[in-house]
Amino acid sequence: MIAQFEVLAPKTIQEALQLISGNPRAKILAGGTDVITGFHQGSSRFIDTTTLIDINHIPEMHAITETDSHIVIGAGTPFTHIVENPGVIKYFPLLAESCSVIGSLQIRNRATIGGNFINNAPCADSVPALLVYEAKIRIQSAISDREMPLADFLVKPYKTQLKPDEIVTEVILTKFDDGYKGNFYKLGRRRGVAISRLTIAVFGKVENDIITDIRIASGAVTPIGMRIAELEQKLIGKPANDDSLKEAAIELGKIILEKTGIRWSAPYKLPVMQQVCYQQLHTLVFGKE
Amino acid sequence: MKKFNVVGKPVTRQDAYEKATGTALYADDYTFPGMLYGVMVRVPASHAIIDRIDYSAVAGNPAVTAIVDHNDIPAQKKVGPIKQDQPIFSWEKIVTPGDVVAMLVGQNETELLQLRDKVSVEFTALPVLTDPLKSMDPDAPRIHPQYENNAIVHYPLRKGDPEKGFAESDYIIEQTYTTQFIEHGYIEPEAVIAIPLGKAKGVKILGSIQNPHTTRKVVALVLGLPLTKVRVVQAEMGGSFGGKDDQMNILSARAAVAAVKTNRPVKIRFNREESILESYKRHPYHMHYKVGFTNEGKLKSMRIHITADGGAYASMSPFVTWRTVVQATGPYEVENVFTDVHAVYTNNPYTGAMRGFGSPQPIFAQEQIMDEIALKLGMSPLQIREINGFKTGSVTASGQKLDNHEVNLSTVINKAVEETNFVEKWQKNQKDNADVAKQLNFANDSEANQFILTKDQLIAPDKTWRKGIGLAASYRGCSLGAEGIDVTSAYLSVQLDGSAYLLCGLAENGQGLRTTFCIVAAEILGLTVDKIFYLEQDTAIAPDSGPTVASRSTLMGGGAVRNAAETIRERMVRSVADEWKVSADSITFANNTVSSSENNKSVTFADACGITYKHKENLATIGFYQAPEVSWEEETGQGSAYFTYVYGCQIAEITVNIATGQVYVEKVTAVHDPGTVLNLQGALGQVYGGVTQGVGYGIWEEISVHNGKIREMNLDQYLLPTSKEIDDITAIFIEGKDEHGAWGAKSLGEPTLELGAAAVANAIQNATGTRFYHNPINLEEILLNRKLYPEDLKRGSL
Amino acid sequence: MKKHIKFLLNGREMACEVEQNKRLLDFLREDLQLTGTKEGCSVGECGACTIIVDKLAVNSCLMLAVQVDGAEVMTVEGLMENGELSKMQQQFIDKGAIQCGFCTPGMMMSAYALIMHNPDPSVEEIKTAIAGNLCRCTGYKQIIEAVSCSCGK
Repeated sequence: MIAQFEVLAPKTIQEALQLISGNPRAKILAGGTDVITGFHQGSSRFIDTTTLIDINHIPEMHAITETDSHIVIGAGTPFTHIVENPGVIKYFPLLAESCSVIGSLQIRNRATIGGNFINNAPCADSVPALLVYEAKIRIQSAISDREMPLADFLVKPYKTQLKPDEIVTEVILTKFDDGYKGNFYKLGRRRGVAISRLTIAVFGKVENDIITDIRIASGAVTPIGMRIAELEQKLIGKPANDDSLKEAAIELGKIILEKTGIRWSAPYKLPVMQQVCYQQLHTLVFGKE
Repeated sequence: MKKFNVVGKPVTRQDAYEKATGTALYADDYTFPGMLYGVMVRVPASHAIIDRIDYSAVAGNPAVTAIVDHNDIPAQKKVGPIKQDQPIFSWEKIVTPGDVVAMLVGQNETELLQLRDKVSVEFTALPVLTDPLKSMDPDAPRIHPQYENNAIVHYPLRKGDPEKGFAESDYIIEQTYTTQFIEHGYIEPEAVIAIPLGKAKGVKILGSIQNPHTTRKVVALVLGLPLTKVRVVQAEMGGSFGGKDDQMNILSARAAVAAVKTNRPVKIRFNREESILESYKRHPYHMHYKVGFTNEGKLKSMRIHITADGGAYASMSPFVTWRTVVQATGPYEVENVFTDVHAVYTNNPYTGAMRGFGSPQPIFAQEQIMDEIALKLGMSPLQIREINGFKTGSVTASGQKLDNHEVNLSTVINKAVEETNFVEKWQKNQKDNADVAKQLNFANDSEANQFILTKDQLIAPDKTWRKGIGLAASYRGCSLGAEGIDVTSAYLSVQLDGSAYLLCGLAENGQGLRTTFCIVAAEILGLTVDKIFYLEQDTAIAPDSGPTVASRSTLMGGGAVRNAAETIRERMVRSVADEWKVSADSITFANNTVSSSENNKSVTFADACGITYKHKENLATIGFYQAPEVSWEEETGQGSAYFTYVYGCQIAEITVNIATGQVYVEKVTAVHDPGTVLNLQGALGQVYGGVTQGVGYGIWEEISVHNGKIREMNLDQYLLPTSKEIDDITAIFIEGKDEHGAWGAKSLGEPTLELGAAAVANAIQNATGTRFYHNPINLEEILLNRKLYPEDLKRGSL
Repeated sequence: MKKHIKFLLNGREMACEVEQNKRLLDFLREDLQLTGTKEGCSVGECGACTIIVDKLAVNSCLMLAVQVDGAEVMTVEGLMENGELSKMQQQFIDKGAIQCGFCTPGMMMSAYALIMHNPDPSVEEIKTAIAGNLCRCTGYKQIIEAVSCSCGK
């Protein structure tokens, strides 16, 4: 079923950028979980594609580097490497956790973090964690090099700020000071290898029984993975008690209802999102029982 | 009890080496010189009149060696096990989206797949019938105009006086239950190759085929050939579970027609989407139960009305629903019963044989009802089953007295209950979870403002996981019962070096039948299993033994193998006794030797074969086994439906997240009485696999249909249980005595599957204080008491 | 359009011409006649096509053949050790982990890759490693036992 195409395997980012430059019929091949099945099934997305640029031979694209203040993950890094990376586990545990429940091990061994958000599919499981960590991404082309928050990059479902001759090369995470805690929750229909029905990441800080910082991001329930800024604003400065958390969870329901409208899944997902939000905030504030 | 040498011991599978090394050959692993591929042409409709098919866009294409459609069929164009309603290639109507109008045949499958959409089929859409409850409406669209209406079959069962029974009852419960379409989920999609052998020899079929003799019959009918000129050889089977029967007959016929037309081997192989699209499913049932009982918990009367969605073709519906009518009241004594089971046509995917075969559905209903009765009366699920459960001498709904075998229902239930400490846990959960029912009503409305919770509806993390334990029990008639001719044969040929060929007419589907049959022969001949060489399934060698269905292989095939081995053994005894001048009684067979206790002489089995040969005795035979008489009265549903029964009880222990509806299965304890266990490892495998499929049926698995079209087209959406879904399974066997088959070894494959969903449903009630009537009990069912589906068929819809 | 690739397959050096649009699965099954690797879903959900590339279990339906250029590839055909069954293969046989056998090659490759990295995995770790390998026959229990017993110890 696969149409004819040529596969190029550049060894450096610069080489890859040259190859994609001015070639609208070229696409990046990273983990292949989307591209190869798409080709095999004759998906219309790949009708015009004549060239695949395989980025798996570019060392920087799948390197994880740590400095005192940052961890930088090559956008072509497979999830398995992220899940096993001691720095990620220590400083960004929600990312490690969310990446560990994506697909099967075979998928995690190939599928990449960049590939997870580059399509901006609503059920990209790593996105909520990246959003609460306020991840930035680096986007390069043969003639440009820019950074932007992931939150800005994700425009709307299946649409990002990526231009045709650009490649996302890095995910940049800034370390946090002590005192932040967080939780990630994924709800799937089964325990092994499930597409998420909804995901939520909560991340924040409680000082003297006051919520001094909080970040909440959702996936698979909003049109794209997103931070719920309105809710965060309301919660910051509130006392860290059960009542505040309940109010916040209910508020989240209202916000999502407004953002997404009533979809077929709303009667299930909306109430459950409130429950899950409450429970994750509860665990964040009061700890696990 | 007889002491066995091989029976009941762990034995290495006959085919294990090939399967462990990747050298076992499945149908798609074969290629032949000059082989062509067949690619299906379908119509995007669920119900339509075919007006015209225009091949002009592909006809001259060099990639297309031949176009095959109904015009190429030399003899019978429609087939089916009971009603001949299913066309090999459709030409009059489309009655379901899986229908195939033609096949493009050529060397390059990839090119053909791209060309198939270029075939232009003009059609006139007809109203689509998807609700089986509307099938018998006077104005319902007629699926098959040649029949008077959309009825496939109706089975009544009448016993006693149900109205009088209800009048004598202190309570009456009435309830409706539904179950869903289920995909077999064999990991190997369909594949078959037809090889033309020339005019004199006909055609050879090699494929992933559950019932080679049935396939042979269908292909012979379609080609107009004598049975002898259609030779069906089974490739290694990558799972079937009832699913590679009718579907493979049809695919074999398509391949055969193309092979004859092109005079080249033709392979058809489905990808997963095509497999799910065209293959038949397990029947969805709509079941209405009305049950009357006394204050003491005694069942007085049952009135049952069941409608099975047969989909577009009759297939096995008449057999599947017959088992339902026999077993619909469960393993309980009920004086008065009035049951009607109907199967009807719709434009949905067709439904047929699948492991369980008409039993998982009524068990889902009837085992929940038993728990409801218990709850109503303040009894435990155990008590209510003790009061009503079958004992030796009990009379079934069809009026059959159970007196020719050990009726071990209470034994299996008690064993499972003891093993899990069921009653105590059940009572504790019932109390601990009494608060859940009102929590679950939080989202029970589809009004938008109801989606927003109130503070008191939010559930704290430490209150969210609730434990539940649930029990389900069943009895199951063994083999075909009064639904068919029940005989088997087995070919055994002992060689002069002491090795032996064995082949039964029943087929290896992956379940391990070859190994079990080798065990039976080895036991009787005193051989080690490695001395028996099981031949590949080939209709030219093995006598027709009926289908490999109904968990009948161990019982019926075991009987035939035993008969064959005993025949050979008798001949050997006669010869050796004569040679040694000892009495026949003194001769024993064990550990590859033959000995006499009279002269203390001992020779190798091979030497004993030499002696037998010298005495001019035949070392080959065909064994035969015939099921005992059964009976059935069509108008009243009375009779001895099956010649013997097996009993099983499964207990599921789960936790439910009452905030999300997630169900985690922690443990399933399965206690079964399959009679004597011949192949221990195989038997354990049947239990673990059957339990997993049964639990999958209850929680995750569902084919949902929109306008006749399936939503779950691949395994990302159709959710088979993975290694992480069930924490642990315990299997326990109670080996009840029976005279039939090989040492009273009966049925296990299906009994292990039919209980899981009901046990889970009862456990979910125990965890939530809420009863769910619609299978599968998935996330939405638990929180909303209904299913939610996307409005269209778009993948990945949120 | 063909491309020349070199790779190590089950310990043997290979040099092949391969169509650039060919999936690794098809390359193994069709070009190299290594039919032990199976196709069950074509979308990376069933795991029947699992093989090991550079010591990691992967779905060969989600890779192109050209992508193994320079890599080390292992398929079920490479499990035998000196013409004898490996310990894991023997355990799969002994524990009754095989029924229809269609998932078996992929299952064993996932398990083998696990043990390469983790010689003494827990039951949970085994379950996670094979969660992407669907089996419809066995309910996984005997497979997990077989993997568990294949480890060093």
